[in-house]
Amino acid sequence: MDFTDKVVLITGASRGIGAAIAKAFAAEGASVAVNYLQSSDAAETVVAACRQAGGDASAFQADVTDSEAVPVLVNNVLETFGKIDILVNNAFRPYVFDPENRKMFWELDWSHYQTQIDGALLSTHGLCKAVLPDMRRRAQGAIVNIATDLVARPTIPYHDYTTAKAALIGFSRNLAVETGPLGIRVNCVAPGLVYPTEGSRDTKESVKDMISAQTPLGRIATPDDITGPVLFLASPWSGFMTGQTLYVDGGLVMS
Amino acid sequence: MTQDHIIEMLLAFIAADDDQPDTKARASEDAFNEVALQLFAYQFENNKPFRQFSVQRGRTPRTARSWRDIPAVPINAFKELTLSCCPPEDAARVFMTSGTTLGGVRGKSYHPTLSVYDASMTRGFKQYFMPDRDRIDMGILFPTETIMPNSSLAHYLALALAHFGTSDSGYMMQDDGIAYDRLFATLDQAQMSGTPYAMLGASYSFVPLLDEMKRRGLSFALPEGSRMFDTGGFKGQSRELELDEFYDQLAAGFGVPREKCINMYGMTELSTQFYDRGNAICPSVKSGPHWIRSRVINPLTGEDVPFGETGVLVHCDLAHFNIVSTILTEDAGVETEDGFRLLGRADGAEAKGCSMAVEEFLKAAQA
Amino acid sequence: MTERAGYLPGLTDDEVDWQILRFGGADAPLEVAVPVLTDTQMQTMAERVRVASRDHLKTLTISQIIDIIDRAVARLLDRKDPYRRKAEEILPIVTGYDAEMTRLGLTGYLKTFRKPELQKFTAEDFANPLILDDFQPMPKGGFARAFGPDILTHIWAGNVPGIPVWSLVSGLLVKAGNIGKVPSAEPLFAGWFAQVLSEVAPEIADCFAVVWWKGGDTAREEALLKESDVVLAYGGNESLSAIRDRVPVTTRYLAYGHKVSFGAISRAALDTQKAADTAHQAAYDVVRYDQQGCYSPHVFFVERNGRISPQDFAQYLAHELETFEKKYPRRALSIGEARDMATWRHGEEIKSFASENRGLIGNADSAWSVAFVDDTEDLSPSGLNRTIKIVAVDALADIVPRIAPYKALLQTVGIAAPPAELYALSTALGIAGVTRISAIGHMTAPEAGWHHDGRFNLLDLVSITEIERSAEAAADTLAPYAD
Repeated sequence: MDFTDKVVLITGASRGIGAAIAKAFAAEGASVAVNYLQSSDAAETVVAACRQAGGDASAFQADVTDSEAVPVLVNNVLETFGKIDILVNNAFRPYVFDPENRKMFWELDWSHYQTQIDGALLSTHGLCKAVLPDMRRRAQGAIVNIATDLVARPTIPYHDYTTAKAALIGFSRNLAVETGPLGIRVNCVAPGLVYPTEGSRDTKESVKDMISAQTPLGRIATPDDITGPVLFLASPWSGFMTGQTLYVDGGLVMS
Repeated sequence: MTQDHIIEMLLAFIAADDDQPDTKARASEDAFNEVALQLFAYQFENNKPFRQFSVQRGRTPRTARSWRDIPAVPINAFKELTLSCCPPEDAARVFMTSGTTLGGVRGKSYHPTLSVYDASMTRGFKQYFMPDRDRIDMGILFPTETIMPNSSLAHYLALALAHFGTSDSGYMMQDDGIAYDRLFATLDQAQMSGTPYAMLGASYSFVPLLDEMKRRGLSFALPEGSRMFDTGGFKGQSRELELDEFYDQLAAGFGVPREKCINMYGMTELSTQFYDRGNAICPSVKSGPHWIRSRVINPLTGEDVPFGETGVLVHCDLAHFNIVSTILTEDAGVETEDGFRLLGRADGAEAKGCSMAVEEFLKAAQA
Repeated sequence: MTERAGYLPGLTDDEVDWQILRFGGADAPLEVAVPVLTDTQMQTMAERVRVASRDHLKTLTISQIIDIIDRAVARLLDRKDPYRRKAEEILPIVTGYDAEMTRLGLTGYLKTFRKPELQKFTAEDFANPLILDDFQPMPKGGFARAFGPDILTHIWAGNVPGIPVWSLVSGLLVKAGNIGKVPSAEPLFAGWFAQVLSEVAPEIADCFAVVWWKGGDTAREEALLKESDVVLAYGGNESLSAIRDRVPVTTRYLAYGHKVSFGAISRAALDTQKAADTAHQAAYDVVRYDQQGCYSPHVFFVERNGRISPQDFAQYLAHELETFEKKYPRRALSIGEARDMATWRHGEEIKSFASENRGLIGNADSAWSVAFVDDTEDLSPSGLNRTIKIVAVDALADIVPRIAPYKALLQTVGIAAPPAELYALSTALGIAGVTRISAIGHMTAPEAGWHHDGRFNLLDLVSITEIERSAEAAADTLAPYAD
């Protein structure tokens, strides 16, 4: 897949899955806008790695849950790179996946749900709205949203997180129908547990073993495992696919 | 980069390769790219309509990796947009196109200083027209730049005269056209004295001259080392001639072999010129000095056509620093080993079906 | 592979000079041999066709002729027929149009010439079609009969497949001796049609001919023109005017020039449900034959204040064009055509910098371009080959001043509007010079009997001879049974 002359904006790309996706695009020749919230050093490391890999990159600080900051972010990217071909909505509000100490349903307030919804959905909504005019003007574009396989099968019920991601999938499908006739595709990638990331840093070995045991491909995903499907959904190879969710979890969930 | 920095960089680049006048030993593509991309960044920064144009094409200096990535501005844009890095009122000189289309609107090229234009012109002229001598007796068949201050050709020829003409050179024009008597006397003199002579003018200026010579039954045998220079084509200004016919007539009329009849291909929208190595065969192969590069593209996709196929010419002229370096001309051409062949204006295609094409519509609407 | 073009009754292949026209690319080269007749041969051919049509075509009834054409068309509608197979295989190579589009277009077009449709053709022009067979009573009194020309010469142009059939069929219906000159851009179909006719009805095999000459070969053209009673020509204004200068003043000359057509879309067609389909239909009109037809739209005028704005509509249309590119890819363009498209596109691009109200959709490597103008703008031609402009208007009635200066150039308007608006707008458009109004999506498929450019397909070709009442009455007095 060749992404030369393509511009990709990835939210939350200073670490974890976002960083891996950034480097993967850059390795195929893309110009990558690495959005980050706080870790500017980490973001610059990603930028350097992207350039090393053969692409180009710049870091853009913005809180994507701030609806005033999002248009500014998109504008900055457009000023730097001239266009946005691909948007990857990867950022979400920090969450710790701890099966032993997770909050049970009756311990959660609506505010917990709201936080996750704002993290996953508010940011995605704002970014999609902001990049669409440019994509519509060129009658082409690809949006890839990062969901989770827990939507299809909540092996552990992280209520607030997974509910937000479920809404994200519904949002993506509706957007796909709306933007299909405009030449723009919207798809989701649903990873399972990914290690190592901020969220999974403290996950116990026993948990990982349990999940691996139920996974046909016998292991947990690394961030790099998630990049291929994201690039696929951003490339003309998936040119006749939209509104889809690819489950990238070694076969744990088949949907 | 400031304007002064850019000018300094360009003057140095133009002056490079001093010891190797041969075009084949030109600066490497890498060196050209480096300058071209810096120039692109400068123009992107300072020329607002050009920035809009580039962004519309999805290209910023960040994403350009070589001169081929610089978006080529269609030549018609010069009539619709004010393309200038400096404020237009700061221009030391404004060159305008002759404006035959689009209701007489003329395209403008703003030059805050002519230092780069002049350096480009003199180096190129030396390389292609005067490789063997420093100065020559010269006759100019074109008005002075005082009479035509907005003509780039007038300025060009004034430079030629000033830098490469001997004291026995001059303009062969008078109020109502060519000063035939004075010119013919000068040519007689040159013939008798055996001193080489050069005649420079617009192609369309030579036509009435040749006609007058025919009318008077005159022809000349200019001494060896003499040379002819024409530029610009005939369209709309004089009787149209086939290239072969034109150069045959020049050769016969002045006794200068066709190999020594040099044609210059230039335009108001550039600061550098192309030349050929004589017109023994037409159309000749044109090339330029090391600070200008050309490619032949499919005008729709912007992609280079395969080598040897016909397309439309794009020129990237580093000397054109205040406006845009890269333009899409209306000229069809084909790439050769050492340059390109001009195949004339790519005319509007006839409609293949019964739907009306633009040219026909305009004619019908004007009727 | 060499194909022979033309249909030359009375001449064998080796009696004629042939010239080779080349089509296709390096991977599928095609040679077509076109016939170049001498002046004498042209004269002899005309005489042959004249005599044969007098003896064998003019002696048939209109019903019999309709039957013959119907049988020929039935063969060409049959995908297994050898000539149909040739057409499907070769026309895409010659014209460059997508093979799918060509075969579907061919079937759709030929259906216009089946028996029921031919009856419509005839009924459109003649209240009593028997007037073509014999003297018929007239409303004013007396009798009239329609006589077709001895020699009807067709000079065809353009590469839209099947164009010659329309006038050839018209010529047959009026029992003319038809001689048609094929265009260099598509020299084959007319000859095949003639061949099929001669096979289904050998008795009229000498009543028509299909020839060729190089554009600009005025000698050959004049040789045929001076034999003609009626000359029918297609082409651009320049070539039509040149032909007119060479047609004898006593010969009737019918010229069909290039036209500009456009679409008009009411806000009623732009709600959140209907807009997508409207865009789909509009895109279809654009992609058919890559906008090369006289009926192809150059502009869509779109009303503001619908649920979907004209700008949104432009974007839907853009994607539809992208989708059609997969289904019916646009043919390869010559450098000249590419340059025209590029010039148009660049022009629109540059204008869009000067104004917030303009935009250009599509990339450099899209096979199409959509320009959008949210401003008052006159009708203007597109760059063809799938370039289209959307101009926003407050009301469809506002279109009329925008097209008024171009009366002579107008032909088809595709309209998407409610009934009251359709009729009101059609009145204004008719006054402005528009001759055909169709639905969006149907602009490129005229109905049988369509008054091409507002003219009469059959009536324009015939001469009416009338027997006045005075002659009738006088003859009565001389009858052997007169009282």
